[in-house]
Amino acid sequence: MLALIPLFPFIGFIINALIGRRLSKATSGGLACLAMLVSFGVAVVAFWRLLGLPAEARVIDETLFTWIASGRFQAPLTFRLDPLAGLMCLVVTGIGFLIHVYSTAYMHEETDHEYARYFSYLNLFAAFMLVLVLGANLLVMFIGWEGVGLCSYLLIGYWFDKQSATDAGKKAFVVNRVGDMAFIVGMCLAFASFGTLDFRAIAAAVAALPPEVTWGVLSTITLLFFIGATGKSAQIPLYIWLPDAMEGPTPVSALIHAATMVTAGVYMIGRNAVLYSHAPLTMEVVAVIGVATALLAGTIGLAQNDIKRVLAYSTVSQLGYMFLAMGVGAFAAGIFHLYTHAFFKALMFLGSGAVIHALHGEQDMRKMGGLRRALPITYWTFLIGALAIAGVPGLSGFFSKDEILFRTFASGHSVLWVLGTATALLTAVYMFRLIYLTFHGKPRYEGAYEGAQEAHRAHDRAAHAQGTHNHGGGGVLHDAPMAMAIPLVLLAIGSVVAGYVGVPHALGGSNRIETFLEPSFSPPAHTAPAVAGTHAEPGVALSGEGAHAEADAHGATHADTALELTLMVTSVAIALMGIGIATLVWLKRPHVAAALAARVPWMHRLLLNKWYVDELYDATIVQPIKNSSTVGLWKGVDVGVIDGAVNGTGWLVRGSAAGLRLAQSGSVRIYAAAFFVGTVLVIAFYLVR
Amino acid sequence: MLTDFQAIMPILIVTLSAIVTMVAEAFQPKQERAPLAGFGVIGLIGAAAASVLLWGYDKTGFGVVRADNFSLFVNLIVIAVGLLTILFSPQVIERERIPPGEYYALTLFAVVGMMLMAAATDLLLLFLALEVLSLAVYVLTGIRRAQFQSAEAAFKYFLLGAFSSAFFLYGVALTYAIVGSTRLEEIAATLAVSDQAPDGLVLVAMGLLAVGFAFKISAVPFHMWAPDAYQGAPTLVTGFMATGVKAAAFAAFLRVFLSSFHTLHDSWAPMLWLVAVATMILGTVVGVVQANAKRMLAYSSVAHAGYLLVGLIVGTRVGEAATLFYLAAYAVSTLGAFAVVAVLATEEHPHDRVQDFAGLWESRPGLAALMTVFLLSLGGFPPLAGFVGKWYIFSAAIDAGYVWLAIVGVLTSVISVFFYLRIVVMMYMSDERALVPTPAITRSAVAGLTLALVAVFYLGLLPTHAIELALTSVQGMF
Amino acid sequence: MDIWLFYLFALVIVGASLGVIGQRSPMHSVLFLILSFGALAALYVQLDSPFAAVAQIIIYAGAIMVLFLFVVMLLNASHEDDDPGARAPVPVGVKVSGCLLALLLLVELTWALTRVGRPAVEKDAASADSVSSVHEIGRVLFTDYAFAFEVTSVLILVAMIGAVVLAKRKV
Repeated sequence: MLALIPLFPFIGFIINALIGRRLSKATSGGLACLAMLVSFGVAVVAFWRLLGLPAEARVIDETLFTWIASGRFQAPLTFRLDPLAGLMCLVVTGIGFLIHVYSTAYMHEETDHEYARYFSYLNLFAAFMLVLVLGANLLVMFIGWEGVGLCSYLLIGYWFDKQSATDAGKKAFVVNRVGDMAFIVGMCLAFASFGTLDFRAIAAAVAALPPEVTWGVLSTITLLFFIGATGKSAQIPLYIWLPDAMEGPTPVSALIHAATMVTAGVYMIGRNAVLYSHAPLTMEVVAVIGVATALLAGTIGLAQNDIKRVLAYSTVSQLGYMFLAMGVGAFAAGIFHLYTHAFFKALMFLGSGAVIHALHGEQDMRKMGGLRRALPITYWTFLIGALAIAGVPGLSGFFSKDEILFRTFASGHSVLWVLGTATALLTAVYMFRLIYLTFHGKPRYEGAYEGAQEAHRAHDRAAHAQGTHNHGGGGVLHDAPMAMAIPLVLLAIGSVVAGYVGVPHALGGSNRIETFLEPSFSPPAHTAPAVAGTHAEPGVALSGEGAHAEADAHGATHADTALELTLMVTSVAIALMGIGIATLVWLKRPHVAAALAARVPWMHRLLLNKWYVDELYDATIVQPIKNSSTVGLWKGVDVGVIDGAVNGTGWLVRGSAAGLRLAQSGSVRIYAAAFFVGTVLVIAFYLVR
Repeated sequence: MLTDFQAIMPILIVTLSAIVTMVAEAFQPKQERAPLAGFGVIGLIGAAAASVLLWGYDKTGFGVVRADNFSLFVNLIVIAVGLLTILFSPQVIERERIPPGEYYALTLFAVVGMMLMAAATDLLLLFLALEVLSLAVYVLTGIRRAQFQSAEAAFKYFLLGAFSSAFFLYGVALTYAIVGSTRLEEIAATLAVSDQAPDGLVLVAMGLLAVGFAFKISAVPFHMWAPDAYQGAPTLVTGFMATGVKAAAFAAFLRVFLSSFHTLHDSWAPMLWLVAVATMILGTVVGVVQANAKRMLAYSSVAHAGYLLVGLIVGTRVGEAATLFYLAAYAVSTLGAFAVVAVLATEEHPHDRVQDFAGLWESRPGLAALMTVFLLSLGGFPPLAGFVGKWYIFSAAIDAGYVWLAIVGVLTSVISVFFYLRIVVMMYMSDERALVPTPAITRSAVAGLTLALVAVFYLGLLPTHAIELALTSVQGMF
Repeated sequence: MDIWLFYLFALVIVGASLGVIGQRSPMHSVLFLILSFGALAALYVQLDSPFAAVAQIIIYAGAIMVLFLFVVMLLNASHEDDDPGARAPVPVGVKVSGCLLALLLLVELTWALTRVGRPAVEKDAASADSVSSVHEIGRVLFTDYAFAFEVTSVLILVAMIGAVVLAKRKV
């Protein structure tokens, strides 16, 4: 049953990969969507069955076969559905399905076999992502982990004739490999320490240990995993690939680089919650990196002009929030935010895709403006998404973001709370900057057109006469076609209501999602029996310093309620303030923005150039490696020796005689010399020792 | 006497099939080139059957050949290598106008040499086996005489190979001078009883033997012949020597260093540690900048020699089993990749530059998919064979405390994916489609590729059985 | 006396070997090689293994070298200098470093040999016999080393095939 969930997208991939080129667009696209829909259906049924189980026993294991088994090393290919995996499954298949549907329209201009190639990648991605989510041990998770990386790489570089796209693909790949390396080493170390790779078995083994107050093996393992997570989930210092990844098709950005794959790191930490809980030092690192990333990306997002890049930095920033939650031990809150974020960020990416689609590929917000009337569906759904991410009460983002900030404060990390709140302000500002630049104000796009906009008719007619307008067809901006509009609307609804599964106690809710997820973050029941209905969570209890995040265990105490309400009001105020600032600067007095940029040009430049982090990496890491491998090793060892010999420099062969004669080139002497040196060294090594 | 012959049965069968192949060519009517490959296939399958039947009996033949599970396991690997090579060959032979009888006979003799290397328990016999194998492969490398690169490659390989044989033989002689025997078990016994620290001569002997092996497995700094020889040799021969020769040399390396010199593990392990690290790093880093697919695969095979050395250095049972398993996984993946390169070549176009793969997905989706699988397996993507092998080796290393070695291994294998993916990306992303005409592919090559594919998936998805076999095969070895 | 003879022959071997690689004319090289082999045979005699000495003379100095001479004469390869590739001068640095390397290896080996802890091979009467008597050699060769002997035949077969493949004119 569980195996069917990733199986269907995989079948879709196989069909589209093998015979997709012979299928019409409707067939190959429909097939891919159908695969996702069926997978979603199975996921729902499985989830339903999971809900039918008693709370502590909500685990469905399904072992397909023993993958690797030798001696004490056992790694069965097991899928496991528990509350955490179930939630993720629904997100991946549900949102994945919507994005597939959206893609059928968005990618419609591709040729038939490109179209099939696109959908085969997308389906393959979904299959790997589901394997990642459902894997019951680290090794199975790693299959998915590598697989989604591969698909992401292929999809970023999907438009391979664009140099920037291939470069971005490469960058994503290289950066991810750094993280993957740490992940593999961590995995080996985990196996060496616990003798197993099964998540529950590790949790059970760790639960018996005391939290590691000083640096030790648990901290090392968790830190290695976290480095892996920073690669996949775009955190400092490995976040640089994600903004560039926007070179891929927009639906891909929505699915992979916003809603699902990039959250894999967060998910992985959630999966290993018990392990992380026992490594408070790593937890601190996670929290600090998380909030630092959130803040940094937020500031960069303020100054970007590419609509997708703003969203990309916003994604990095929101992922930072999730890591902050993980770092302070509020695992459920982090996953909750992951879940709501998937809705509104996918929505906004798809919305931006609709804008780009309507403007025939224009991504620069300075060349947009005034699209509100032309693209009403896009506008309203996008607005809902922006309100949600800004944390306006009543929408999903409000509940999850608030939960994180409250937990951060409650666990005693007041500095982190301040930074997190500052990020919230930034979020509201840059999101509404985006809205105002794109949808409000005067149209600035090329051949900005008439249609619904009476005021600009004259101007546009002139433009038309000059032939600057380049729209095909009627020349009217199209709002999203049905296949794009329906996913937008559904996601917008999701962005509103998704949060209601986690209404905090302070607002009279019962935070059901937290209760629901809690068993996934606790060690298996037989080692530490969970007390029903409470947050008996050893995981959180370790946060060495300060108040426990489980404070509201038995219905919040009065003080906690007051605190939570206070914080909530603060953050609502912050969000509204952010929106207000954005309104003031970019809607009411557009010149203020320019003036501000002119007043502190260095600041503006710094933000626009993303704090020069790319340049820093290039100068300190990329160039030296490139130089040493091309100049040092390749030129020195290979070209210098071999090609140099063949080209006939110096005393090497110059003759043109064929066959053996030429083969007696000097290069063989050099090979022999290297051999000789090697031998002398080997023997010397023995003798000197 | 019967036991003696039973022990060498697989070797005998292949030798006979090689001779039959040669004789048959002499007597076959002109213009008829039917069953030459068939003799080889029959012989190899017979040898495989004999190996399977001998499994678990641990027979010794003539005092110097041991048909223990270890050598039988290696037999199966090299037989698979030989079989796949022969399956891919007809098309290439036709195209390159290679004399078929000699080609198959030499391939089979090389397999004989490989099997002997794995089974020999006497340094002298080991040397002879090494020479049988080497001579056959030298000639195979240069078999396209008309082609200047082929001749050059063969010449370089031969010259340096002779060099390394000399060092190896010197090592054997010094060992004999110390111990008074060339039998592995007697060497082990003599070295085990000496209570004081090993004297200089033993270490020198060991070093020279290690040099000889390091040359055959193309470990840094004895690897320099590899890129040239690999590039110049006919592609299938390259695949054959990158896998078969390496497997046989590693088998002998394992047997000699973990039986005879096992007591001196503390002495030789640090040196090989350095060699392994250098091999992994150089193979990977230089591989990244290659523009020729064969050359790239050559550096990849250098890097893989480094990973395999990790298993040897670890020196535990699990490490040895991991090395064996890795050899199998590496063999099928590499051979598959080389075969794809080989079958794509045409007479005027070798199809071995990375950009030649552009648009393969359009013109040959099946081959592109196969190549992807083989390359991803080499790069260690789960759940393919290469991943399980790497995982097994590196976790054995960490288990035994060689954490840094494992980290270097993981780091380099992570980097190495970069160059494997370059080809993959070329195939899928480039649209300079159908620039290069690709030939038709024979049925036997399709069969071979399918076998390799099945093996990659089998070793990747259901490796348990193979790992168990590898573990049992190293149990009784020492 | 013995030791002086040993050093004499050893010197001849080293000198002749240097001559082999130092000569421009292939003919001279081959002649030096024969000299070197002859001196080696003398060393075998000194080591009480007349069989090896005779074999050395008959097979190497006699058969193989004569064959070499024929080949050299038939090919009429008078001087290496005709090869344009070989005439390019070898830089002094390369020569020096090559010599240094060789010297280093020599030092290493000598050092290792001086540090041998125990007497190398235990000398007993039987083992001394086994190398000196042709009968003993035959016995060992066809009993203990019978299999290796047979493998040698495979080796020679492979070498023959290889020679044919590489040398025959029409493929």
